[in-house]
Amino acid sequence: MICEQCGERPATVIVKENQQGHLIEKHFCHVCAAENHNINFSFDQDPMAIHNLLANWFPKQKSAVSPVRRDALTCPRCGFTFQKFLSLGKFGCAECYSTFSPQLTEILKRVQNGNTEHTGKIPASYGTTLKIKKEIEELRKQMQAAIQEEDFEEAARLRDQVKLLNEKLEGGGNIGD
Amino acid sequence: MAIDRFLQPRASSWMANNGEHVDIAMSTRIRLARNLEEFKFPYAFSEDEALKVDKAISSVLLDKGKECGYDFTHISVEELNELQREVLVEKHLISPYLANSQHSSAVLLSDEEELSVMINEEDHMRIQSLQSGFHLQEAYDIANKMDSLLEEHLSYAFHEKFGYLTSCPTNTGTGMRASVMLHLPALTMSHQINRIIPAISRLGMVVRGIYGEGSEALGNIYQISNQVTLGKSEYEILQDLQNMTEQIIEQERRAREALNANSSLLLEDRVYRSLGVLTHARLLNTEEAATCLSDVRLGIDLDLITNVDMSILNELMVFMQPAFLQQYAGRPLEAKERDLARAELFRERLADNGINTKGEDFA
Repeated sequence: MICEQCGERPATVIVKENQQGHLIEKHFCHVCAAENHNINFSFDQDPMAIHNLLANWFPKQKSAVSPVRRDALTCPRCGFTFQKFLSLGKFGCAECYSTFSPQLTEILKRVQNGNTEHTGKIPASYGTTLKIKKEIEELRKQMQAAIQEEDFEEAARLRDQVKLLNEKLEGGGNIGD
Repeated sequence: MAIDRFLQPRASSWMANNGEHVDIAMSTRIRLARNLEEFKFPYAFSEDEALKVDKAISSVLLDKGKECGYDFTHISVEELNELQREVLVEKHLISPYLANSQHSSAVLLSDEEELSVMINEEDHMRIQSLQSGFHLQEAYDIANKMDSLLEEHLSYAFHEKFGYLTSCPTNTGTGMRASVMLHLPALTMSHQINRIIPAISRLGMVVRGIYGEGSEALGNIYQISNQVTLGKSEYEILQDLQNMTEQIIEQERRAREALNANSSLLLEDRVYRSLGVLTHARLLNTEEAATCLSDVRLGIDLDLITNVDMSILNELMVFMQPAFLQQYAGRPLEAKERDLARAELFRERLADNGINTKGEDFA
């Protein structure tokens, strides 16, 4: 959509105006919106619903798709089909993540700013080795940040922590289990 | 009934007015989304499963919560009438989604209302930690501690590559949404906010106006939160949000100084007019009340007003909402009646210069 005021730039801001009890929506580009002094910005809870986005990115599959393929895209645990996932924008269970995995990377990339892999917290019960590896990765990042901020004391503390964890890893995953 | 104490116009700890940068950053919230491995997610599960999920999570929190120093009260959503649900939404203790839940859902609330665990919202569990002021790390530590406690007793839906598995792909990974509520009157008045918002969105964060259906930035209050939950660790997400918020706070301070330097008489006039409205009006609608509250807040921050307690303004922001007013009045009120009740509430509360005792009812 093009800005209603300048007719040049793409409209990126929706302005809601109350005119004699009627709510009127106007579409402006960010420049015209900034110039317009009598407006309130509208921040809808969900500026664009996820299922609308997904449905546009993954247009309906043609029914010519072979039955085998369609079966492959039905989650055996909760019965969600890929189409149902697209229309709701939600998964039915944990297994949907493996069922729809061929498309999942693409979906996550789009809703997660290009990211596809988790780097954060891991449940303690999940496995000591993986947990330690991820912790080391995380500490290294924090160490880099500390060095950049010239907080060398903190960086040294983090380095020692990394060293300790590395020793733990080399000694096998059993220590600290 | 156990629920009663949470429905009273009693200040939650997150409404207190303390903490760093509290003049601008009013409150901080961390939310962690978690699901249990053995059950289907709420979009697909049966009523029977919903009950089992509630039981599994609640029993851990009710039994073991004390180990972490929390006494939880379990409240089933279906036992609440519409008004009671609305009151909990207005207090930010449950989400509108949970209030309208179609299946068995519940909330566990800590005594001070700084922790709430929603069960069978969009995910099996939403751990929410609320803090007054700008305290991302503290709020996270509390939520994280509760998460680790639950995880000891329950098995989570987790994937090595994708992290915590959630109903919506926008939450996959850390399952964490961190947000800070900011009062930005000077940036709004000087229209600089219009340039800041697009910049923030480009950095993987979102800005929203808070409260009210249309969610315009009523009362110049904005909520800034992380959008991305995958590929960044909790630490990085919090750091990014911390940095961004600090920059906005700095900008707001500069804008306030400029405003004060360039148009101090106009500003003073506006602040005192708003105080006049809040202390003397006979009818007050939500929008006017929110605008005047924002002005008076700014007046206090700029030391123009010295005899009003800020924490009372925080409470009024919550208690002036429709469901609270009706709860207070003990009956349903039409919009016009609410405006009358709202004006009364403000007059009463501000009459004694707002000298506040924590936890005291305004009745």
